[in-house]
Amino acid sequence: MGIKHNRRLLAKVWLLLVVLLIIGVTVSGCYGTSKTVGWSGAIIADDTLFLASVEGKLIALNTSDGGRLWEVPLGTSSVAVYGTPAVAGDLVYVGGYNGKVYAISSSVGAKRQVYPVDDNLEPIVSGVVAAGGRVYFGCSDGKVYALNAAELYQEWEFPTRDKIWSTPVIDGETIYIGSFDRKLYALNAIDGSKRWEFETGGAIAATPVVYNNTVYIGCFDRYLYAVDANSGSLRWRSAVEAGKWYWAKPMAYNNVIYAPNLDGKVYILDANSGGEVTGAIDLESPISSSPVVVGDKVIIATEEGEVYSLDTTSHQKSLPLIDVREEMGDIAKNTDRKIYAPLSADNGVVYIHAQTSKQDVLYALNARTGVTLWSLSLTIE
Amino acid sequence: MFERWNAGPMALMLNGLVALSHYLFGSFGLTIIVLTIIIRVCMYPLNAKQIRSSQAMQALQPKIAELQKKYARDRQKLAEEQMKLYKQSGVSPAGCLVPMLIQMPIWIALYQSIVRVLAVVPEGLLDLSRYLWSWSVVYSVLPLDNNFLWFNLVMPDIPLAVLVGATMWLSQKMVTPATTDPQQRSQSQMMLWMMPLLFGFLAMSFPSGLALYWAVSNVISMVIQYFVLGSWGSLARSTARKPVVADKKYLERIAHIEESAADITAVEADIVETSSTEAGDKRQVGGGYLPSLRAIRRQSKRSKHHRPKRR
Repeated sequence: MGIKHNRRLLAKVWLLLVVLLIIGVTVSGCYGTSKTVGWSGAIIADDTLFLASVEGKLIALNTSDGGRLWEVPLGTSSVAVYGTPAVAGDLVYVGGYNGKVYAISSSVGAKRQVYPVDDNLEPIVSGVVAAGGRVYFGCSDGKVYALNAAELYQEWEFPTRDKIWSTPVIDGETIYIGSFDRKLYALNAIDGSKRWEFETGGAIAATPVVYNNTVYIGCFDRYLYAVDANSGSLRWRSAVEAGKWYWAKPMAYNNVIYAPNLDGKVYILDANSGGEVTGAIDLESPISSSPVVVGDKVIIATEEGEVYSLDTTSHQKSLPLIDVREEMGDIAKNTDRKIYAPLSADNGVVYIHAQTSKQDVLYALNARTGVTLWSLSLTIE
Repeated sequence: MFERWNAGPMALMLNGLVALSHYLFGSFGLTIIVLTIIIRVCMYPLNAKQIRSSQAMQALQPKIAELQKKYARDRQKLAEEQMKLYKQSGVSPAGCLVPMLIQMPIWIALYQSIVRVLAVVPEGLLDLSRYLWSWSVVYSVLPLDNNFLWFNLVMPDIPLAVLVGATMWLSQKMVTPATTDPQQRSQSQMMLWMMPLLFGFLAMSFPSGLALYWAVSNVISMVIQYFVLGSWGSLARSTARKPVVADKKYLERIAHIEESAADITAVEADIVETSSTEAGDKRQVGGGYLPSLRAIRRQSKRSKHHRPKRR
């Protein structure tokens, strides 16, 4: 009896432990991050703003008052969009995490073309860039694609050795793009042939910026690199090692590079030497959203939802222009509302796409005064 | 609570894994294998104690049967006497659960680390950066490759789940005692199959990285059991020896313990008479084990050096 009793007890305890393990990992799984939501930036053309919502719809808004012109769901189920759409002619191009690129009529929101038509590429995290009758983007399959802008068929592809999440940048007839294989590539925009490659010390997820014939790129090795745009040779590597990864695109203005980092600081470097112009400005929250330059101000948003203005002369930060967590004076009203999407600007107005995992809000902010001109919930309640 | 967990054990596991990956050619699969070996080596004393305790429990069964006969109508007295016997022999009935209890937080931290370190979605990679410590090796090796051998470490893999179940069955089989009692045998069989099936099922539901940990851990368990027991245990009996031989050995062991019944009584008397100041001496001499069990331990230690030839 005793032995049986002990064995039954042991069996029950084992079962209890297994059940506890299942509950433990399931509960911990709820806190895991495997769900794709997306953080689309906005592009403005002819007083119309285009961006994708967290619901997976491409939305067109009137920039003057935020009036909704049209919206179109990208897929049958929700499609996460991480890149900023591109506009060329009467089409808006957007790449989805479902591995498809869509060409949509900018005037009426009707889908015109899809690439690929039948199957899907690997997830597209990179933004789409349109120039010279082609649409360029990077893909998680490690390739850079160039599609015909009118018909959306593939003109060329260039393989790298790892995922591409970086958005291509076009300067003249050259495309610059970073890859997780730690390399920055310069490709011929016409035929996709490689002009040069430059190896950094870490993976590249950030988008490069081209300024004064130099390509500036931040890496996972926590350094910012300046590479000669013609030869691909290193001009300098930042003297200061950042606290975390460079994720956002740096900004160049008046011979100064403003490089936001996930450590919550903005590194202010001399564009020619890479030396610090002034000490890094600490915004106390990770910065994954790419900043914009409006007038002589650099507008920067932190993940926690605060938007700051940096004076490019004094290099001083303003008080927060806006805190997207605030609603009706209550600062803690929307604690889970974050800013990941790159900022956009047009005519002195900054557009900020703030989001939770289920709903998103677009703010239009006067960059000079910090006054909110309008805000709009993109999610249908 | 979750913040403390994330900043403490989870961050330690996550950064440790990433740093280890740096020295293992950036292979996260190799990292999990090495981590498993490190954890199991650290837990070796506990595991060895558990195996010996389990063996001692088996050796005590005839004596327990005697007690059951003696106190068939007094369950409380029976329980007291059983506990007394366990205490005297230095056996803990729940001892085998301690290593598993210790490993549970490791499993949960490992699961979370795998999900976070091998982040496949952009949100995951951004989230990962929050937990990284400022070591250069941590930053230079990320993001890691998800693939190892034939499987993706983030996705469940059926062949690996089968391997988890099979290795766990073999590991359990090694320490399952041979018994002639049909009821005990059916319970042993239930225990033998229940855990491998459960873990096989779990392995089919969780990332392969966790299943890899379980599979490697099972193989290491078998090696540890081999060194502690000095043989492949029931695994060898079921494959190489006929049941009759096992029964004979078992009967010999029972006889051996019964022979030492007088010793047990003497030890019980000693315990009653021994003052609290002498308790330390008793531990030093016998290590808390009955003389018959000490003999088994001595035999077990000897067998490390003179393993019997198996037919």
